[in-house]
Amino acid sequence: MTIQAATLSRTSARPEREAFGRRVSRSPYPWLLPVALVLGLFYLYPLIDVFRFAFTNASLLGRDEHYTLASIEGILANPDLPGIFRVTFIFTAASVVGQQVFGLLIAMLLVRGEQRRLYGVSALRAIILIAWVVPGIANGIIWQLLFSEAPFGAINSLLRNIGIPPVAWLSDPGNAMWSAIISNIWRGTAFSMIVLYAALKSIDPTYYEAAEVDGAGSWQKFRFITLPQMRTALLVNSILITIQTINTFDAIISLTGGGPGRATEVLSLFTFYTVFRNYDLAGGSVLSVLMLLTSLGLALVYAFFLPRRERAE
Amino acid sequence: MTRRSRWDHETRRRIADAASYVAMILIALFFLTPLLWLLSLALRTRQEVFLGASRFIPKHPTLDNFAMILSSNEFLLYLWNGLKLSSLSAFGCLIVAAPAAYAFSRYWFTGKSAWMMGILAFQMISPLVLMVPLYRYMTSLGLVDTHFGVTMVYIAVSVPMCTWLLKGFIDGIPIALEEAAQIDGCSRFGVFWRITLPLASPGLASAFILTVILGWSQFLVPFLLLTKNSLLPIGVAIFNYAGQSNASTTQLLAAACLVAVVPAIIVFVALQRLIVGALTAGAVKG
Repeated sequence: MTIQAATLSRTSARPEREAFGRRVSRSPYPWLLPVALVLGLFYLYPLIDVFRFAFTNASLLGRDEHYTLASIEGILANPDLPGIFRVTFIFTAASVVGQQVFGLLIAMLLVRGEQRRLYGVSALRAIILIAWVVPGIANGIIWQLLFSEAPFGAINSLLRNIGIPPVAWLSDPGNAMWSAIISNIWRGTAFSMIVLYAALKSIDPTYYEAAEVDGAGSWQKFRFITLPQMRTALLVNSILITIQTINTFDAIISLTGGGPGRATEVLSLFTFYTVFRNYDLAGGSVLSVLMLLTSLGLALVYAFFLPRRERAE
Repeated sequence: MTRRSRWDHETRRRIADAASYVAMILIALFFLTPLLWLLSLALRTRQEVFLGASRFIPKHPTLDNFAMILSSNEFLLYLWNGLKLSSLSAFGCLIVAAPAAYAFSRYWFTGKSAWMMGILAFQMISPLVLMVPLYRYMTSLGLVDTHFGVTMVYIAVSVPMCTWLLKGFIDGIPIALEEAAQIDGCSRFGVFWRITLPLASPGLASAFILTVILGWSQFLVPFLLLTKNSLLPIGVAIFNYAGQSNASTTQLLAAACLVAVVPAIIVFVALQRLIVGALTAGAVKG
C-alpha cells in the first residue's frame, strides 16, 4: 500500500516536474530578461524620468525642487526657439536630402561598376566607409581645418593660390550652415550608401531585362523600376538618418560651436548648452521631450508613406 | 541587330564606363581629401603649417607632433580608456543581445514583433534626450566617474542594433543541427551555447566590431558621466584638447585628431568585409 502510494506519487510527480522544466525552457522570457533589464534600467527609467523633470524647476544651482509648469512655459516662450527650430529644420532637411541623393548615386555607381567589372569599386566603397568611422568630434575638427580662414585652411589657401579671394566658410552665418551640412553629408553618406546598395542588389534583374526588351532608356528604367522598387528602403533610410541628424551635435559643437551667433545652433546643441552652460536641468528636459516628440512625429510621417505590407510586418 | 547599332551600343557603354571612372575619382577625392589634409598638417613643422595648401606634401615632414602627443602619458591613458570602454561594452552587449536574438529567431510567442519593434524603438532615442535624468540617476547609484556606469549605458545604447544584427545571423543558421542536438538530450541552453553560438561566430564578430566602433565615437555619455581627467576616453579628450588649441598648435591638434581616428579606421578597413556583410544583411531584412 505504502509502496504503491510512493511509486504512484513518484510517477505523478516526475512528469509534472518535467513539464515545468519544459515550460520554462519553452518560454522565451528568460532569454529576454538581460535585454529587458539593461534597457529598462539604463534607458527606459531615465526616459520616463525626463518627462517628470520637465515639470520641475530642477537646476544644478538651485536647491528646493518643486513641480511647476514654469520651465515648460519658459522654454516655449523663449524668443530664440523659433530660430533654433528653423536652423534645425534646414540642417536636417538638407543633410537628409543630400545624404539620400548622394548615397543613392554612389550605390548605383558601385552596382554599375561591379556589373561592368570596373577597377577600384571596392576601394571606393572602403574610402567612403572610412569617413563613417570618424567620431563626430573629430569630424568637426577635421572640417574646421579645411574650412578655416587661417593660413592652414585647406580650401581657402587653395583658392588664394589660384587667385580667388577666400570665402568666409565659418564666420559668415549663411555659409556656416552650409559648411556644417557639407561636413555632415561627408560623414553620413556611407550609411545611406550601404542601405541603398543592399536594396539595389535585391531588385530582381528580370525587371531590367524586360524593360530593355521593351526598349526602355536608362532614365525610364531608373524612374519606373529602380525608384518604385527602392521605395521602402528610401523611406526606412529617411527615418533613420533624420533621427540621427536631429540628434547630431558633436560634429557641430567642434566645427562652429553653434555660431557665428546662433546661425548653426540646432535643437540638440541648444539642449546641450541649456544643460551644460546654463545648468538648467528642467529646461533641458523640456527640450529633450521636444526633441523626442519631433523625432517621433517625423518617424510617424515617414511610416505613413510605407507600403501597407511592410507596415504590417 | 545591325552591325552599326551594335557598335553604337558598345561605344555608349565605353563612354558610360569612362564617366563612371570620372565620378568614382571625384567621389574618392571628396571623401579622402579631409583625411589627407589632416595627415598633411600632422606631418608639418609649425612654420610649414602656415604655408597652407601649397605645401600639401610637406617639404620637411616630421613625426615630432606624433611623438609629442604620444609621449604624454595622458594621451596614452585616453587611448587606453577609449579602448577599454568600447571593447568592454561590446563584450557586454553580446552577452545581453545574443540570448534575446536567439529567442527572437527560434521561439514563437505572442507579441514577438511588438517586443522586437519595442527594442528597435530604443535605437531612435539618443542619449541626449536622457542626459538630465541619467546624470541624476547615476549620481544616486554612485556610478558617476566609474567606467562601469559608462559601460552599462554604452551597452544600452548599442544593444538594440546588436540584437537585430544577431537575430538576422541566427535566422540564417539551419535549425536541423539544433534539433539533432536536442534529440541527443541537449538542453535548450546547451543547444544555444554549444551549437548556435559557435555557428554564429561571424555574426558575433561583426556585431562586436560595430559596437566597438560605435563606442569609440561616443562623446556625450562619457562627457556627462566622467569628470575625472584620468578616466576620460579619447573622444572627450580631443574635444577638450581642441578647446585649448590655438593657431600655433594646429599641427599638434591634427596629430591628436589623427591618433583618435586612425585606430578605428585600421580596425574597420582590416575587417571591412565582415562588417559590410553584416550591415547589408541587416538592411535587406530590416
